[in-house]
Formats: sequence, C-alpha cells, structure tokens
Amino acid sequence: MLPVIELAVFAALVVTPFLLADRTDLITLVTNVIILSLLALSFDLCWGFSGIMSFGQALFFGVAGYVVALVGRDLEFSQLWATLPLAMLVGGLLAAGLAVFLLLGKRTPSSIFVAFGTLTGAYAAERLVAGWQYVGAGNGLSAIRLMAFGDYEFVEGVEFYAVALAALALVYAASRYLVRSQMGLVLAGMRQNEERLAFFGYRVQVFKALVFSFAGMIAGLSGALYSYHQGFTGPSNLGPGLSTTAVIYCLFGGSGTLIGPVIGTAAIEVLSYVLADTDAIRQFWPVILGVVLLVVVAFQPSGLLGLLVSSRERIGSYGARKAVR
Amino acid sequence: MDFAVKFAFDILAFTSVMVLVVLGLGVIASMMGIFNFAHGELVLLGAYTVYLSSELGLGTWPGLLAAPVVVGLIGLVLERTIIRRFYKAPIIAMLGTYAIGLIIREIVRGLLGGHYKSIPEPIGGAFSIGGLEFSIWRTMIIAITLAVIAGIYLLLARTSIGLRVRGALENPMLARACGISTGHLYALTFTFGAALAGLAGALIVPLYQLSADIGIRFLVQAFLSVMLGGVGTFEGPVIGAAAVGSLAAWLPWVVTPVLADPLVFVIALAIVRLRPQGFITVGRL
Repeated sequence: MLPVIELAVFAALVVTPFLLADRTDLITLVTNVIILSLLALSFDLCWGFSGIMSFGQALFFGVAGYVVALVGRDLEFSQLWATLPLAMLVGGLLAAGLAVFLLLGKRTPSSIFVAFGTLTGAYAAERLVAGWQYVGAGNGLSAIRLMAFGDYEFVEGVEFYAVALAALALVYAASRYLVRSQMGLVLAGMRQNEERLAFFGYRVQVFKALVFSFAGMIAGLSGALYSYHQGFTGPSNLGPGLSTTAVIYCLFGGSGTLIGPVIGTAAIEVLSYVLADTDAIRQFWPVILGVVLLVVVAFQPSGLLGLLVSSRERIGSYGARKAVR
Repeated sequence: MDFAVKFAFDILAFTSVMVLVVLGLGVIASMMGIFNFAHGELVLLGAYTVYLSSELGLGTWPGLLAAPVVVGLIGLVLERTIIRRFYKAPIIAMLGTYAIGLIIREIVRGLLGGHYKSIPEPIGGAFSIGGLEFSIWRTMIIAITLAVIAGIYLLLARTSIGLRVRGALENPMLARACGISTGHLYALTFTFGAALAGLAGALIVPLYQLSADIGIRFLVQAFLSVMLGGVGTFEGPVIGAAAVGSLAAWLPWVVTPVLADPLVFVIALAIVRLRPQGFITVGRL
C-alpha cells in the first residue's frame, strides 16, 4: 500500500503543471507545498525516525534562507548550482553544531532537554535577527535576487516548480535509502527500545546527531528555495512558529513515514488556500490548526496515513527477503 | 547609590513577575513531569479576566480576585478532559498543551480584535523613601509574590495535603498503594498551577499592555528557569526564576540589548546542559 501511495503522490505532482498550466496562482501554491513539505520531511526524520522532538527545524530553514538572500544582496550571486548546496551546507553545519551541544557528551541528555534546546535555539535566533540591522531587523529582507542558472532566472511558475520538485524527489530518494539501509535498521531499533540498543553497544546519541544534521541539510535546502520563491525572508521564518507549523504538517500527514509529511503539508496548505476566501474562517485558521493538532495527538497519532496503511507496513521490513536454508 | 537602589528594585519587581509565572509551571512539571506549553495562555486568561471586569464597569479589583478562581476552574476542566491522557508521554504532552495554548491564544486574539488594551494599575501612584520614588503596584507584586511563596511552602511542609503531594512525588506507585488517589492529586495540582498562572496574569497586566502574546513572552524563560532550578523541588524553580529574571534585567546594561536578549537563553541553556539536575538536588520535596 505504501509504495502505491508514494507513487501516486509523485505522479500527481508530475502531472500537476500540465493540468494547471494556465493557473499561475495554483502553480505557486503547489510549489509552496513542495518546498514546505521538504521542511516537514526534515522534521519527520528527527521525530518520526530518530525520536528527537525538534521545535527548531525553522532555525536551519530560516538561516539558510537568510544566507542565500545575503549572498544575493552583497555578492550579487544566485546561481542555484552553488547557492543551494551552500544552503544545505549551512543548514547541515548549524544542525551538527546544535546536535553536538545538545546530544553528545558524557551524560545522556533527557528528551525533554533536547526539545527545549531546539525550541530555545529557534527562539533566541528569531529575537537576534529581529533586532539586527544588517539583516534587515524586523522587516526582513525583501526583493531577494532571483535564483538563476547561467543567464536564466527563475520566477514563480512552472520552471521553478520543476526545480522544487526535482529537489523533493532527490531528497525523498536519499531519505528513503537512508531509512531502509542498515543505519535505518538501527534507527528503527532505537524507536523500539533506545536503552537496549545502547546496551548492544550502539552509540545512540551519535546516530541521532547524524540524522539531525542530515535533517538540517534538508531544512536548509527548503529554506533557500522558500526565500527565492517568495522573494522575501523575515525573522518569523526562523522562529518556533514556523517550526511548530512543520510539526503539525508532519503529524497530520503521519509521522514515521516519509510520504506522510508531504501529504500533511499538501492537505493543510490546500485547505488553508480554499478557506482563506471566507473572512470569518481566515481569522480563526490558527484555532483550526490547534484543534487539528490536538485531535491528531490525542486520538490519531499515526495521522492521515494511519487510516490507510497498517502499522506493520509503516514500520516496514529490512533487507532482502531470502529463503531460510 | 540612588541609582543602585532603584535598579535593584526594578530587578526585584521583574524577578517577582518571573517567579509568579514560573511557580505554577514548576508545580505542574514537578508533580506530573509534563511541561505545560499552555501556561502562557493561562496567564493570558488571568489578564483577560481583569480586562473583562474593567470593561463591564466593575473596576479591576473583582477581576483581580476572580482571575485565580476562573483560570483554576478552566485548568481543572482541561486536566479532566484532555491533559490527563498525556501523563505517560511527556513529549506528546508538549504537543498537546501547545495545541491547547494555540487554541486559547488565537480565540482571545480574535476577541481582542488584534488591539492592545491598557489596564490601569488598581493602586496607582508611587511612594517615596529618602527621596526615591517607588511604584506602589510593583511593591504590591513583590509583596504578593513573597506571600505566595511562603503560602505554598507552608502548604507543602505543614499540611496533610502537602504530605500527600510529597508522597506522590517521591513514589507515585507506593502512594497509590497507600490509598492516596494520585489522580485526584494530579487534578488538584493542575488546578492549583493554573490558578497561580491566572493570578500572575492578573497582577502583571497593568505593567504590560494586554495583547494575545502577553503570556508567551515569558514562556521560554519560564521553561529554562524550571530546568535551571531543578524539576521536582519547590525551591528550584523559584531560584531558577530569580536567576533568569535578574540575568534578563541586568544583561542589557552590559552588552547591547540586541545581543542581550538571545544571550540570556544561550547562557541558561548552557548551564542546564552542564548541570542537568538543576541547582537544587539535595532535600527534594
């Protein structure tokens, strides 16, 4: 069932531009969904696959967004073959640094401390950026230099959509390889019983730090694409607000699967787009998000995908099926 | 000298506000092991109660007295219906309480229409000692904070309820085996924590304008205070709040305010990392 859903989602994303070629606003919406689902995916790798409750995914997202904006402004350079890897490097290094501080060390930190650490990081960064004139303080950076490849500049539209979709496909393939590899098997073991894995001799915290850094890279890529696409980045792009939105995307879709965050992001963003026309609902949209999160957390922890896919399949199996001799 | 006294008074007043906010959070975190992300919104509800009573023409006093009761009852309802599902999973509890907080905050934002409302101080003016002016209301806040700390200490150390609370904290299983209903105790604790949040909100709203974000601005500092002081103790969160509060009030004088604000969080987090058990480890409740 799961591969069918994955295929269906990607097939839908591939045909979308052909169906909506004359509706630029809808193309923009779906591009946004793709970019944000990268962020949700990076949160899912932390929480769904390695048990780190990260309230700070937007930190890597936002900082990478600011970095590409500043590179565009001060160096007048925005070639995607260099800036997107740079964004991934920034996000990955930042996440690795935070992971070393929060996770590694003689004493094993409690999961609550790690959650607060990521929250505090994002919160402190938001406050710092909001007061820092060089990066535009509270107003953020607008009119970001367009993402380019050679002489071609990407504006909102089908071409940008193609770049975003390619990024999502690559990241998805890499994540899928990761969680189905031998390392993914260790991660699955950690989810079941972290202490036991530690007694087996696995350095649980090192594995967590690795996945966290990888997730930071993805969040960085997502943030760079988001900045280029919006042409704007501001302090709220790296605060706890966006981080928790990513949490809602992921949990609503179904954490612990890779396709879940993509579905969750699409469902919530499309719903928000449809409902935004009604004034009464738009004002209380955050309340609806809160109710969604509460219902998912209390009654349906496996999210939307849990309605379709059995938990046996969500957890998955490892290695090739061999006949037992 | 004058400046030093004035400065010390300001730090003390701000620290008292922090302590008030943190006490309720610390009580809940110690007893049930969950960090209540909706705490800031309970503070907001306390502030909103005062605003409502002054809007209705009753003045601020009835609102001030009603706030702990109203917010405590709301806390009781929340605990009985939702929060008690989360006791076994602290991380899930964070998400659940975050969702509750989001719902409350955005509803209040809708009710306020996005405006800032100022509430007059119930006792305005200032008194002077030796030529120095002190705000009466800030002095009241300091006095009430001290009274609340003393009251909670006596409640925990001298009454039979306090004994049961300490027992349930020490060993919930054994407490249940002794016939203490931990379920009731948890409901009571949550109600009490919520009432403290309501009181804090009602007391601080004249100092800050009422907006939907009045509670959330203290939340991250409050969490760090609880972890800094040590979960599971009574003195811990109070000392933690005093440390974070005075750091936050003092640091802007040393480095530029832009840097001071985030630096408070980084310093507090670094200390928690190095000393995860908190300041207070001996003589747990």
